[in-house]
Amino acid sequence: MTTHTNVAAHERRLTERLGELWAYRHLVGNLVIRDLKVRYKNSTLGFLWSLASPLLMMLVFYLIFGVMQRASVNRAFHLFVLTGLLPWNWFNMAVAGGINCIVGNASLINKVYFPREILPISVVLGELVNFLFAVPVLIVMLYLWHIPLTIHALWLPVIIAIQAVFTLGVVFLLACANVYYRDTAKIMEVVLLAWFFATPIFYDYDSAFTQVLHVGPWSIEAGRLAYILNPMGTLVANYRTVLYGSPLGPPSAPDALFLLRTAATAFVILVIGYWAFTRRAGRFGEEV
Amino acid sequence: MDAAIRFEGVTKTFVVAHDRPRSFQEAFVRVFRRPDAADRDVLTALDAVSFDVEHGTAVGIVGPNGTGKSTALKLVARILEPSAGRVAVSGRVAALLELGAGFHPDLTGRENIYLNGSLLGLGRREMSRRFDRIVAFSELERFIDVPVKHYSSGMYMRLGFATAIHLDAEILLIDEILAVGDQAFQHKCRERITALRRAGVTILLVSHDTEAVRELCDRAIWLEDGVIRADGPTDRVLQRYYRSMVAREEARLDADEAAAASAATATSAAATSTSTSVSSSGAESTSDGAGGTAGDGAENRNADGAPRTRRTERSDRFGSGEVDITAVDILGPDGQPHPIVLTGQPMSIRLRYTAHAPVDHPVFGIAVHRDDGVHVTGPNTRDADLALERIDGDGELTLHIAHLPLLEGNYEVSAACYDASLSHAYDHHDRRFPLRVRAGDVRERFGLLALGATWTWRGEAAPSNPARPGSDEDAGP
Repeated sequence: MTTHTNVAAHERRLTERLGELWAYRHLVGNLVIRDLKVRYKNSTLGFLWSLASPLLMMLVFYLIFGVMQRASVNRAFHLFVLTGLLPWNWFNMAVAGGINCIVGNASLINKVYFPREILPISVVLGELVNFLFAVPVLIVMLYLWHIPLTIHALWLPVIIAIQAVFTLGVVFLLACANVYYRDTAKIMEVVLLAWFFATPIFYDYDSAFTQVLHVGPWSIEAGRLAYILNPMGTLVANYRTVLYGSPLGPPSAPDALFLLRTAATAFVILVIGYWAFTRRAGRFGEEV
Repeated sequence: MDAAIRFEGVTKTFVVAHDRPRSFQEAFVRVFRRPDAADRDVLTALDAVSFDVEHGTAVGIVGPNGTGKSTALKLVARILEPSAGRVAVSGRVAALLELGAGFHPDLTGRENIYLNGSLLGLGRREMSRRFDRIVAFSELERFIDVPVKHYSSGMYMRLGFATAIHLDAEILLIDEILAVGDQAFQHKCRERITALRRAGVTILLVSHDTEAVRELCDRAIWLEDGVIRADGPTDRVLQRYYRSMVAREEARLDADEAAAASAATATSAAATSTSTSVSSSGAESTSDGAGGTAGDGAENRNADGAPRTRRTERSDRFGSGEVDITAVDILGPDGQPHPIVLTGQPMSIRLRYTAHAPVDHPVFGIAVHRDDGVHVTGPNTRDADLALERIDGDGELTLHIAHLPLLEGNYEVSAACYDASLSHAYDHHDRRFPLRVRAGDVRERFGLLALGATWTWRGEAAPSNPARPGSDEDAGP
């Protein structure tokens, strides 16, 4: 750690980079804590907001969907929505915050060396911590609406890990792109909105897309295609499967094979994102 | 021993960003445009630079602005990445580039100390061990749990310095000796840096202040235009650097003077000028028989019929006008006008005058003031027993100085012609001519004058210490 060689990025070895990242693990923790502290520093409720905001969100859904109860056949529709919305919020906040993590920390980047990967990582982990605060609230709410916790909830860490990997890959790519093209952040505002509606939060793919598409000799269910195209769709559906269950049935185990494929996709995105990011990271100091 | 810092053929180029696309729109537009040579303006900050810094030495990098000094420092700190070549560093690096970089305004001093520590790769436990020392050094005990946004800028920098200096770094990078807090604290910082140096910390200092380099470093590297111009013992390198700087400043002043002269010519021709500037060498060329000067064109015209009263109109020139001092030149050792003279070198000051009528027993004199108003000296022809019986028409007087005793600084020269009793001014230019003195080869720098004195010593010589210089004192941190 105390001995290093400064060379152009493409001459550095991966093991060296990862070893250095490990040496700086305290910084990740401190940045996560810093962001959380700063976020709640001037609010009266402080950390309670992490719990209060999912509760308030749920209250809104409860009132809206309670009034429009007839519109839905699902039981406890507000919880159906909340189960999808909380993981989406994590993704959404991490991406929106992560895009600016290099440009927004220009004063740090220009003055201090540390592995630049740490900034995206700490954004994603910081939002993960917020998400983790909300999960117990969700579980208590599900219980109150007679959807008890089952053994399948043990899948939760796996699903969370896959989402973390996927989110990190996306944030690496976008944070790096935003250094060179500042429009990235603006464009992503719109893209994230579209992505939100393309993700099964207020609906589910299986009931929304029932038709079968035919492309030449192949045919595929539209719902399945949506899952393949949108990893967030798969992830949200899996949270719902293990915590909420199907619209009519109790929680069940996720389709392990499908989850594995999503994991593979997420990993590929992370590798590409990490490669693109570290390749450019050495020049952030002169670009921001 | 292996080098603490090793530059191996390091090149660093920057693409000057005046036409770099910053948005998709610009990138899109550029697709349809012919590539332009001007778009690819590449600045080479360092050009295949190689040097080693041994463990435990202090090296200063000097050079004019924008010639790669700070780039070199940032390469060692890994804030920048070389375009080609390698920078090998062995030892933990602490960079005093900007104090308190990474402090978050909403966090308290305590929280920021830990955060800053981890930015430099130190864990919570390692920082806890140092915490009390950091706080004690910063003298911020009372404010350590206050968010740093409520700190004054001095407090902020004190905390930044205290944190950076307590990281037990083996290599310290300093960009300018820092002006931190009040005088007392600055002394403390300097003492601390000196103590670290004695304790064997490798120091790389970048500074415009060559005295700071001289004080702290045993070796200097002169970097200019991306290449090493000189590298060696501090005194030798600084001397060469100094000469080049003086030559550069002279060239600049000459250019300024040429520009001012052409501007003055232009304004005289336009006959509307109210310019009162005197060109930098003090030369006021006689422009016509009426005794006016180029720089005083406007007054000259205003007062064509009343030459004797005109001088009361300006505060820096007065007198009854029988004698006009028409030019004052600062001459270097070669007898030519120079905008800059060096301490310890021969120089002279030449006055040219025109007497419009015969004047009996005039006394010419000059005065030198430092630019802060201190009256340094005021020789005149009467005190020097130069008897001038009666003058008429043009003439010149030269004051010869064998070894200029003035130390580096900016001074102002006055020139005057009085009657024998020194009570009536014929012409008096009050501090109108700049005298720029630079240090040259003289190392003295305290006070106003280099006396040219010598020292002698009598006493018992102790046996010389075989250890490294400086290690005879308690080097413990």
